[in-house]
This record gives sequence, structure tokens and C-alpha cells, in this order.
Amino acid sequence: MPLLKIFSLTQRFGGLQALSDFSFQMEEHELVGLIGPNGAGKTTVFNIVSGFYKPTEGSVVFDRKQINGLKPHQITALGMARTFQNIRLWNNLTVMDNLRLAGYAWLGYNFWSAILRTKRYWQAEKDIDNHAREILEIMELTDYAEEFPKNLPYGLQRRVELARALVSKPRLLLLDEPAAGLNSADVDDLIRHIRWIHDKFKLSIWMIEHQMKVVTALCQRLTVIDFGCIIATGTPEEIQNNPSVIKAYLGDETL
Amino acid sequence: MIRLQGYTINILMGIAAVTLVGLAHADMLDGYTLQIIMLIGINCVFATSLNLVNGYMGEFSCGHGGFMCVGAYVGSLLSVMFFGDSKLFGTALFPPDLAPFLFPLVLLGAMFAAALAGLIVALPSFKTRDDYLAIITIAANYIIISIIENIDAIGGPRGFSGMTKTVNAMRDFIDLPWMLIWTLIGVFVCVMVIRRLMTSTYGKGISAICQNEVAAEMMGVNTNRVKIMAFMVSSGLGGLSGALYAHVYGYVNAQTFGLLKSTEGLVMVYLGGMGSISGVLMAAIAFTLLVEVLRFVLPWLNTALHSINLLPSSYQVDQIWTWVFIPLMLILLMHRRPEGLLGNRELTDIFPSLKRWFTLK
Repeated sequence: MPLLKIFSLTQRFGGLQALSDFSFQMEEHELVGLIGPNGAGKTTVFNIVSGFYKPTEGSVVFDRKQINGLKPHQITALGMARTFQNIRLWNNLTVMDNLRLAGYAWLGYNFWSAILRTKRYWQAEKDIDNHAREILEIMELTDYAEEFPKNLPYGLQRRVELARALVSKPRLLLLDEPAAGLNSADVDDLIRHIRWIHDKFKLSIWMIEHQMKVVTALCQRLTVIDFGCIIATGTPEEIQNNPSVIKAYLGDETL
Repeated sequence: MIRLQGYTINILMGIAAVTLVGLAHADMLDGYTLQIIMLIGINCVFATSLNLVNGYMGEFSCGHGGFMCVGAYVGSLLSVMFFGDSKLFGTALFPPDLAPFLFPLVLLGAMFAAALAGLIVALPSFKTRDDYLAIITIAANYIIISIIENIDAIGGPRGFSGMTKTVNAMRDFIDLPWMLIWTLIGVFVCVMVIRRLMTSTYGKGISAICQNEVAAEMMGVNTNRVKIMAFMVSSGLGGLSGALYAHVYGYVNAQTFGLLKSTEGLVMVYLGGMGSISGVLMAAIAFTLLVEVLRFVLPWLNTALHSINLLPSSYQVDQIWTWVFIPLMLILLMHRRPEGLLGNRELTDIFPSLKRWFTLK
């Protein structure tokens, strides 16, 4: 049974067809990529899968549950987390708080516990704190625990966002251009981290990425979309030599 | 050695509160001073509760007076129903000796009703934000006041009174400055609720919504639920300030809780710093004192300006000028220091040595 199964997804924004008949599936513990030229509809796919958009047609099944129609926070609670193309951290909360908050879905106490400081409150806060610290250590961010994300360099902000996504205990991680804007040293770190968390947490990872270096180093297979349609699937090597992919990226030679 | 850290502020506040009550009990504070102290307490509750929405959640609520109004009226009605004889409810439900014990019920009822009224703003906030939500809050303020003003059974535009009887019943039971005690308890409960909420991961969901709502929703925060919670807690505590107000003054009128009252709350929050409990508390104290000081300064200014013939004798500087000076202060503040006195920091962030004694974060 695949972990994620997408049936002929179609998304229209007014007259614009952002996605047409997109079908896809991925197994547990796979690491796959989604690539395509600018405006091809990659982020739209992620936005639908994570519940931010309601698809015009089609359905998304995650872990045997149909999830299109659920709210984003419900999908997160089912075990899916994502990062964003443009970093969306909570800049006036510390790195540690950013991470702790990602445990919101499994916090397990309510308003009255927080006010009355019940046993359950202390236990939940302790659990979440331990878990967040563990992730912080794995992602080599311990030194920045009490910093505000806005004061960190860009590469670290990306890493904090990745760490935050991990704290929600996902089974599927969606990474939207995790290497965008990183220098080559940061990119090497990123590749190392992603590989590490993929093995350590037995995660499934689906990523949008432009840098071939990242994609070839990490992804077992790729899906290429252009103008909202799948134009090719295969291993990174196959994709690099696929004529229709070259055409989509570089244009038609015979023009 | 007993570890005092974390309790020091509670102990100090406890001593201060007991001293105040003692002074009031020994008639060493005159009625006017006592009233100012209670008004400071009421304003502290009013401002810190507004701060939850305007400071921590980053929405602009300018209708907080409406929730105070609901609290004031529901508190008054419960109070009269329990301990007063009126045409509306007939004879008192409970003997006057129970007043000190059942008064918390009056306050809780007022808070509950005001929290429900908060839904008028909470539900539209799912889809509406910023300026548009601000307009909704103004509308909510007007709706609440108009409704209450048009129910003739509770006095309509004439206002509602009779709460003094409850206060007297408490005093007859044990001779203590009861309203001062309840006000101090109210401030304590309000600050404690907000502090505990905002230091818990659960409550930090409010800050997350303020800073990036999309990320909050995507990372598992049920944003709609958190918004309902924040608005209901804020308006419920606003209602508490209303119920206290009603019993301190013994008379309520819907017009008291109009936009001007809401503006007072905004002045206190923006003066103190959005998202800072200690800042807003200091601002509430400073603001209340300033209004009282102006009450004396303005007549003095009037005489002074007339004596040097700067003003025509036909014009008098009267109390209306309070509401020239205070908005002027707000203009200067927004111009010079838009984040308020403390911004979103607490006193302990500015003077880290205070952390040895207390933390608000």
C-alpha cells in the first residue's frame, strides 16, 4: 500500500489551469523529487497535498485516508509536514519555541490544563521540550536555541525550518526548494542532513528542487511537470537525458 | 535556605495587597484615593486582557469596551438577582450573609457572558483580518451598546443600579474593603491567566498566528480554535473588569462603555507596549493617574492662563481638555516610539537582574 497516492488532480484558478490530471504515488521510506520549470505547478501540488488549496478535481490519499478536504492542521496531525519555498518561521519567537510549537498537533492538553498547570501540562511540555532538543541536536542547531530566527543567516534559517518540520513527527516530509538561496557549503550540509534524517527517522521525503546536484545526490526517482502536466518520470540519470525534459527547460531546438 | 526565586514577586504583591487592604480597613485611605486605586486595578484588567488580542495576536480590536459593558451588566444583573429586591427579579434569591461567598459566582457569570459575546468578533476573524476585523470590532461595540440601551427592563438609557446592596451585604458580614479585595484578586487572576497562557506552548499558538498564520496552520496549530480561545479569554477578562467597575461605582450605563472606553484601553496597550504584561500594567497605572492628575491640573491651568490674560474671560479650559492631552500623547508616542514603552519585551528583559526575582515570560 503506497503512503501517498494522488489521483488525477486538477486545479483551476479562474481561467488558469495550474494542474491537470496529475497522478502520483510514493511508497514508505522513498525519497523522490518533483521538478519542472518556473510556474509549472510544483508548489501547487504541495499546497494541495498539505491542505492549503482545495483541488478542483481529483483526490489525495495519505496513509489510506482521503485527505483532500481536511484542514492543513488536521493533515499535519496525520503525519505530514512541509517547509516553504520562502521561509516562514515565527521570527519573534526563539528557535526553540519555533520547534516546540511544531508539536502542537500532539500536544494533548487543553486551555484549562495550561491555566491550572496540571500534571498533564507539565508532562506534555517536558515531552515536547525533550523532543525539540533532540531534533535541535541532530540538526546541529543547539547553539542557536535561544536566538530569534530573523537574526540567523539564511542557511541556518532554512535548517531551522527543516528542524521545525521534523518536530511534528511526520511520516511524510514535503520540502519546497530546500536549497533555494543556499551557498555551496550550505548545500552540502543540507544534503547531509536530509540523507541523515531520511535514514534515522525512516521518513518518506518528497522534494521540489532545482539544483541538479541536490536532486542527483538524494532522489531515487523524479517526476517532471510542465504547464501542470507530467512530462516524464524516472531516475535522475534518465531524466537528464530525456528529450522532452530538455525541451521543457531549454526550449525547442528547431524553433 | 528556602528558595524564593519565582515566588518573590507573589510574596511582594501579597504584602502590598495586604498593606493596601489594611490601610483601607483602618480608614487611612480616603474614599477618593481608594476609588483611584480600584480604578487602577480595573484598568489593569481591562488593558492586559485587550493586550492578549492587540499585542500577542496582532489583531486590532477597538471594541473592547463592548465586552466590558456585557460584563458590567451581566454582573450587575446577577448581583441584584442574588442579593437585591427589584421589580425585575422580585425578592433576593439568597440571604445577604452569603454575599461574600457567592460574589465570585457573579464575577464568573459576567466573565462567561462576556466571553460568549466575544464570539461576535471571534467568528468573523476566521476569514477577516487586520483593518477589516478592526471595523468589525467597532461594529460589535456599537451593537452591544445599542442592544443594552434598548432593553427597557434593565433601565435602558437611564442605566442600572442596585449593586451597592451586594457590596453593603458583604460589608455587613465582615467589615472589610471588599471591592478593593475583589479588584486585587481580579488583577491577580487576570495577570496569572495571561502569563500562564502565554508561557505555555498551547498559548504560544497565539504568537504563531500573529507572526505567520499560514505557517501556524501548516505546522498543526488549529488557527480557528486558537482565535476563538484568544478572543473569548480576552473578552471574558474584559467582562471581569466590567463587573468590578459596576460594583465599585454601584451604577452602570451603557454609554460609559462606548468607543471612548475602548480607546482608553488602546492608549494603555500602546503606551505600555504590545505583548508586554509588565509594560501594559505600568501603562494602566500611569494612564489612570494621568487622567486624575489632569483633573487637578486643568483648573489650575485655567486660572493661570486667565491671570496672565492669555485667554479671553469668556473661554474656560475645562475637563474636555483631558481628551486633547491624552490623544496628543498618543500621537507623540506613535511618532517617537511606536512599539510603546517596553515593546514586546518584559521588564525582566530590560533589567535582567530582575530575573532573580520574577519572570513574566
